[in-house]
Amino acid sequence: MSDVVIAGYVRSPFHPAHRGALAKVRPDDLAANTIKGLIERTGVNAEDIEDVLMGCAFPEGEQGFNIARLVVLLAELPLSIGGMTMNRFCGSSMSAVHYAAGQIAMGAGEVFIAAGVESMSRVPMTGFNPMPNPELAKRSAAYVGMGDTAENVARKYELSREAQEEFALTSQKKAGEAVQKGSFKEEIVPFTLPDGTVIDTDGTPRPETTAEGLAGLKLSFDENGSVTAGTASPLTDGSAAVLVCSADYAAKNNLPVLAKVKSVAISGCAPEIMGIGPVEASKKALSRAGITIDDIDVVELNEAFSSQSLACIGDLGIPEQKINLDGGAIAIGHPLGATGARIVGKAASLLKREGKKYALVTQCIGGGQGIATILETA
Amino acid sequence: MAESNMADKGIKKVCVIGAGTMGAGIAAQIANAGVPVLLLDIVPKEGDNRNAIAEGAVAKMLKTDPAPFMGKRAAKLVETGNIEDHLGKVAECDWVVEAIIERLDIKQNLYARLEEVRTEGTAVSSNTSTIPLEQLTDGRSDAFKRDFLITHFFNPPRYMRLIELVAGPKTNPDTLEMVREFVDRKLGKTPVDAEDSPGFIANRIGTFWIQQAVNSAFDMGISVEEADEIGGRPMGVPKTGIFGLIDLIGIDLMPHLMESLTSTLPKDDWYQKIARSETLIEGMIESGYTGRKGKGGFYRINREDGKKEKQAKDLKSGEYRAAARPGIVRGPAKKDLKALISAKGKVGEYSWAILGPTLSYAASIVPEATATVVGVDDAMKLGYNWKFGPFEMIDKIGVAHLIERLEADDLPVPEILRKADGRSFYRVENGKRQYLGTDGEYHDVERPEGVLLLEDIKLSSEPLIRNGSAALWDVGDGVVALEFTGKMNALDEQVMKLIQKAIPMVKKDYKALVVYNEGSNFSAGANLGLALFALNIAAWSEVEKSIKGGQDAYKALKYAPFPVVSAPAGMALGGGCEICLNSDAVQAHAETYIGLVECGVGIIPGWGGCGEMISRWKDNPRQPSGPMPAVSKSFEIISTATVAKSAAEAKDYGFLRKDDGVTMNRDRLLFDAKQRALAMVDGYEAPEKPEYRLPGPSGKAALDLAVDSFHRQGKATAHDVTVAGELAHVLTGGDTDITETLTEADMLKLEREAFMRLVRNPKTQARVEHMLETGKPLRN
Repeated sequence: MSDVVIAGYVRSPFHPAHRGALAKVRPDDLAANTIKGLIERTGVNAEDIEDVLMGCAFPEGEQGFNIARLVVLLAELPLSIGGMTMNRFCGSSMSAVHYAAGQIAMGAGEVFIAAGVESMSRVPMTGFNPMPNPELAKRSAAYVGMGDTAENVARKYELSREAQEEFALTSQKKAGEAVQKGSFKEEIVPFTLPDGTVIDTDGTPRPETTAEGLAGLKLSFDENGSVTAGTASPLTDGSAAVLVCSADYAAKNNLPVLAKVKSVAISGCAPEIMGIGPVEASKKALSRAGITIDDIDVVELNEAFSSQSLACIGDLGIPEQKINLDGGAIAIGHPLGATGARIVGKAASLLKREGKKYALVTQCIGGGQGIATILETA
Repeated sequence: MAESNMADKGIKKVCVIGAGTMGAGIAAQIANAGVPVLLLDIVPKEGDNRNAIAEGAVAKMLKTDPAPFMGKRAAKLVETGNIEDHLGKVAECDWVVEAIIERLDIKQNLYARLEEVRTEGTAVSSNTSTIPLEQLTDGRSDAFKRDFLITHFFNPPRYMRLIELVAGPKTNPDTLEMVREFVDRKLGKTPVDAEDSPGFIANRIGTFWIQQAVNSAFDMGISVEEADEIGGRPMGVPKTGIFGLIDLIGIDLMPHLMESLTSTLPKDDWYQKIARSETLIEGMIESGYTGRKGKGGFYRINREDGKKEKQAKDLKSGEYRAAARPGIVRGPAKKDLKALISAKGKVGEYSWAILGPTLSYAASIVPEATATVVGVDDAMKLGYNWKFGPFEMIDKIGVAHLIERLEADDLPVPEILRKADGRSFYRVENGKRQYLGTDGEYHDVERPEGVLLLEDIKLSSEPLIRNGSAALWDVGDGVVALEFTGKMNALDEQVMKLIQKAIPMVKKDYKALVVYNEGSNFSAGANLGLALFALNIAAWSEVEKSIKGGQDAYKALKYAPFPVVSAPAGMALGGGCEICLNSDAVQAHAETYIGLVECGVGIIPGWGGCGEMISRWKDNPRQPSGPMPAVSKSFEIISTATVAKSAAEAKDYGFLRKDDGVTMNRDRLLFDAKQRALAMVDGYEAPEKPEYRLPGPSGKAALDLAVDSFHRQGKATAHDVTVAGELAHVLTGGDTDITETLTEADMLKLEREAFMRLVRNPKTQARVEHMLETGKPLRN
């Protein structure tokens, strides 16, 4: 059986929802542009692509109607390519990578695009018609707000506001430096607005953030809590895509392989502390890969909130210098459905850039789940 | 040339030069009228942005409270620029308002530049409050002088209704009329014609009045609280009185006002004699105690030691001390001016010390400052928010009595008082309000075309029907007006009974009905006092009956076989909002503050407001489809007791429909509402009854989750959660299922049941009681 490799990663610029440059952009248009960029940059023969998998946390409105297939048509890709929208909330597009890897492993195709998109400007979190099961809502925290879970984790792990803010500040600093160095340039596919304006940089990072500024923010979720807008990832518009294919195919077609998929895992946890989802998922993935956390060189941990990031880092015992080298979601943003593809792609590129061996990519998922992927240098 | 421009008289674009408080505020009001406006200021000495001053002014206004803009859309109509790069754009404008610094040379210089770029026929006006028109246009061409006038706005321009218009001898009457029409109909101002005399009308009298009141307080040893208690409400003056008002406008402005008047008024003018400054006040200005905008004024809120104490300045010692509530104006003196100035002790002495000279002075400036007593009264009522103009006050005191008192104190008795010869300045003759002219004859008070006032109608007719809380008036052309008449125009069973009685009458003999009144507020909602009484004696069936009665009356209006147009102005809260929601159309005054505020007192809208709001949001084409969006939006607006801060904002909240009318000038509201109703008469059909497909318990679960989250954030109290839960129950259709359809009657029943559950809750009762006692919501 052939290895599964990541042979390309791109993303759209990320912009804050509602007030950012992409607020008026349809998510299907944004995703189509990103995918076209992936095909162009990798040079993959589009005819060979089996399926486009599109992660999306709220697949309704402009993200509805099976957006994956619509994006294939919008991008004018060969009609022979399929399209499937996948939803595992924040883990959607990482699941897309996993699905593609599984399909390749079982010989059900050689080349897949695993992508994700979310316009949090245009389709609200919870969707337009939230209609929870009243009984389940009463007896469990199934529908708990994400901010509340961040507070729960902060309490459970006794994470002070200061510690959370220090983590956020570091994330902003790393992202700021990455912007300075131009590290995002090669991953961003510029988007051209109808008026001709080209959006080719992120609107999300706030490198000007200071400890004093963060300390002055109001509490966002609980008047007795510790989480603020500064220690949470911002609502974001964006999309991301990775090219997943068999190692044989990549070699045959001279594709720029970034990393190979070593192992994957999913786990569940209590919904009210969904933020610790990465802990179990990562342990499972590490064990399946036959390595330990000490073998990991690079970690992409989605920063839904400072509190859950810190809790996971603590539980997993990850050294700070290995985490989110170019900054995380607190600075860059977290377009729900797109984040999984972004951090898988990012971790793969970092392995190559840093010349390292193993990467752990993991995120927490609303409703109480964790997802993880181990990548190995190709 | 000028004539050819006059063919198209409308003002389509305006340029305001000077982005200070006044200029920017004027620009905002023009934008509020939906008219594009170019706002220019100088290029700042520092920085790269040459438009920074005008841009900064707009940005600042977006954060100012009370807001100069009626909505965000208005702000987008303001184009900013600077007079170096953009003065040429004046050619596109039909009116240029100059509101720059009060310096003759700088103004003259600007006019010289304007003369180069403006099109002939484009009106140019100055917002000067001090410089005579004659000097302003000195050196300009005749063509310029023909198009020039003074338009003196009052601060803040959005909220103050007065505008003084001063035309020069060469001003083209057509230009004057073009501007008059625009400021009246579009900006909603009441133009008062003033002569080119110092301070015009309102500030001339106002400055004299303040000076006289301050002098007398110092001379007579009256405290600031006493001065404001005597010089405020009992005189029909806003409760800020004298010193509170100075704090509001800025103590540092006083010397400027004094300087400008003393330098322009003739040496023998009475004001010259009373103009003086106090060491204490000079010291306050020097040390930054300039009033509300500064460190404090005659009053301040002392926040030391974590307390919040209102303090007042002791005029003798100059120290702050806890503010007192003197309570010295008692009995008839509270409401009767004659009793006030005749009262024993300092109440009578101080009130006379203010009013005697002020009324005499006001009477002395007719016709020097304006042609008629009406001009003086309008100026003070609209420019200083006095309830009565000086001549209306004189009528209350009695001309003969006033002359007697003035003579006794050796104060001047102006000619116009002598001419009145014992007659009042106003009278009603043949159903028309008349005023006494300087010719000694009575003349009708003329209303501009398109102004219709219930106040005038009442002079010549009796209501068709009336009871203790409402009346029905024939307002002509087959239209009747339903007027609320209770305290604060509160709504009760009587109002509902009158509505039920009116419907068959209108059906038989009239064409349409407008809901309208001339109170400062359309309606503050249901009569809570009555409600609390019923709750206290646990008269549950009575309470339920009154809810049902209101629902039935409002729905009867909604489905009556004739058009119903509501015409709110000021506050339209709770039941006052619901009657608008149940009308075929609304013609709202631009300054309408409408909202469903029931949750604030622990109840929910009970007169059909819940269903009507859902219908509004369901009909909104910009809402996503599905059972939840209209429900969520209505829930968000009602549960937070949202009140729109303008008619424009009311459209954003769905309290008004997009095609409901907005009238800028308060005096034109009844006329416009009547026209709107008449336009609907031909082929009128009552609306079809709505059906509701609502999410039921699943939707409620979603709303409950949101409320719980607000509770954790500290934004919702425990009882808020209960009230919001009942509201959610109603808005989501109770126990309905998504496959079922609810009727309007079902929705009204849900509303009633939830309402009744809430009024039985002691925490709701505590809220109602607290609101009645303090006027503020209880956060329990």
